[in-house]
Amino acid sequence: MRVLVTGMGGELGTKVAQLLEARPEVVDIVGCDFVPPRRRLRRAEFRRIDPRNREKLRDFVLDFAPTHVAHFGVYEPASRLSPAQAAKRTELASMVALSAAARAGALEYVVVRSGLEIYGPRRNRASVPDESVPLAPGTPYGMSLLKVEGAAAGVGRRHDIAIGALRYAPVVGSHVPSPLGRLLRLPAVPVSAFGDPPFSLVHPDDACAAMVAALLRKADGPVNVVGAGAASPWQAARLGGRLPLPLIPPLWGAASQVVEFMGAAIAPHIVELLRYGRTASCARCAEVLGVSPVLSTQEVLRELYEWAEVVPIASVREAVA
Amino acid sequence: MNTSYVYDTPFHLHPDRVGVADPPLRALARRVQGHTPIDPFGLDPQLADIAGSLLRRTVRVQAVGMQHIPESGPAVLVMNRGFGIFEPTALAVALMNETGRRVRVVGAPTLFGLGTTLRRFGSIAASPADVVAALSAGHLVVVPLSPNWWTAGAGTPPLELMQSVMTSAVLPVWVRPNGPLGLATSWRVTIGPEVVNDTSIAPGDPLGAAELSEAVRTAVDNLR
Repeated sequence: MRVLVTGMGGELGTKVAQLLEARPEVVDIVGCDFVPPRRRLRRAEFRRIDPRNREKLRDFVLDFAPTHVAHFGVYEPASRLSPAQAAKRTELASMVALSAAARAGALEYVVVRSGLEIYGPRRNRASVPDESVPLAPGTPYGMSLLKVEGAAAGVGRRHDIAIGALRYAPVVGSHVPSPLGRLLRLPAVPVSAFGDPPFSLVHPDDACAAMVAALLRKADGPVNVVGAGAASPWQAARLGGRLPLPLIPPLWGAASQVVEFMGAAIAPHIVELLRYGRTASCARCAEVLGVSPVLSTQEVLRELYEWAEVVPIASVREAVA
Repeated sequence: MNTSYVYDTPFHLHPDRVGVADPPLRALARRVQGHTPIDPFGLDPQLADIAGSLLRRTVRVQAVGMQHIPESGPAVLVMNRGFGIFEPTALAVALMNETGRRVRVVGAPTLFGLGTTLRRFGSIAASPADVVAALSAGHLVVVPLSPNWWTAGAGTPPLELMQSVMTSAVLPVWVRPNGPLGLATSWRVTIGPEVVNDTSIAPGDPLGAAELSEAVRTAVDNLR
């Protein structure tokens, strides 16, 4: 296997590369991103390429001629990039990398990172959707995921190869730059005054294990990857000792501005989660991938809150003195 | 079915098994501490246990045929309905008393606030996706027939939902008032044996679903 990991500079991309390094059947691992990997890689080769530099990205992928692609070049708005930048880079990384990989001629399998945002707001018709539910994204990030899945499906149709799409619940962990994780760690958490809908999370380690399993099994079609159980915004805030701040619909815009000023930008897909919830059925995951998320939503939340608070260095010095 | 279901039970709150209701002060403390998670369908096990404890004291139910209910794992209970929420409540109390299991009643209304509230106690949307998800998670799913007066027999099963439950165990249920002069001061819940489905028919086949619906409706009617 010659695996290309796009978005290798992110937490998930780096971790997947590390897991692939331990697999003897993976001969070559190559990755690219606009930021360097977050951990030391022993066998994988990394090239720092901004997806906006199309020619460089295209030539790099064509030269490598991957047999498998793990497409993590899908950037969540307000994670490390603004919503506009994230959408632009996601589109370019997907179109350029996937088409170049297909044109290189050796491609056998592609698996893309997707998310539950692709189903749209939790509606009465399907509040716990499985993979067969019609897609109706209601936010720019959901639309972005739909385009990525569509581009990958197009590659699959034209070249007659299997295409997988891992629809992750929000990936939250102590080391992951996640807008939802940052929001939940604020002293006061905005919540809906008229509802307390359930949402599910998935731990980064489980997200990476699912990606590796998909690559090794050539899992075809979409698969929801969701931690067991659920939480609600009120319960999650209280679990972390935070103050739930009830908001009525007209105030969400103002709240977003205030929260961004406090250091945790709140993108439309996060507002959608807080107002309408976000869960899905994970029944197909074990069947298709042979693995299921180990940590439940409540365990992911507890790990998030047990992560040490930022301690100003000056305070530590004073304490030592 | 031999599949064993692993349930997420944070803070000892089980999404499928009825627990002991917390005393009021402890219930409040747990809620303030955030030790009261809900499940993906919106069920709040702590609230459901408190409501269940009250219902078990106030609603008198005589249950027949409880041996047909699986000790664990999924099943679809297709029941008659006359007054709306009374029959599902009587069935839920009977199952709590006899098996200790919770039920997921299909038909959470879209009415603002009411749907959210009923979901907290185990209601789910009348959506094939949600029914399949609840069965995949190993729950008992109650599908009410269209409303009909008790003396008029069983109503019509929802065909769209029957299409999604063709691979599951389907049990007929008849619920009727059992008080003096037919008053709803107490209830009688009768559960019949599993309706045998033709396994040669592909899941989701509309004609197969229609045949299953008719077989279930007849089985419910025969329990009167």
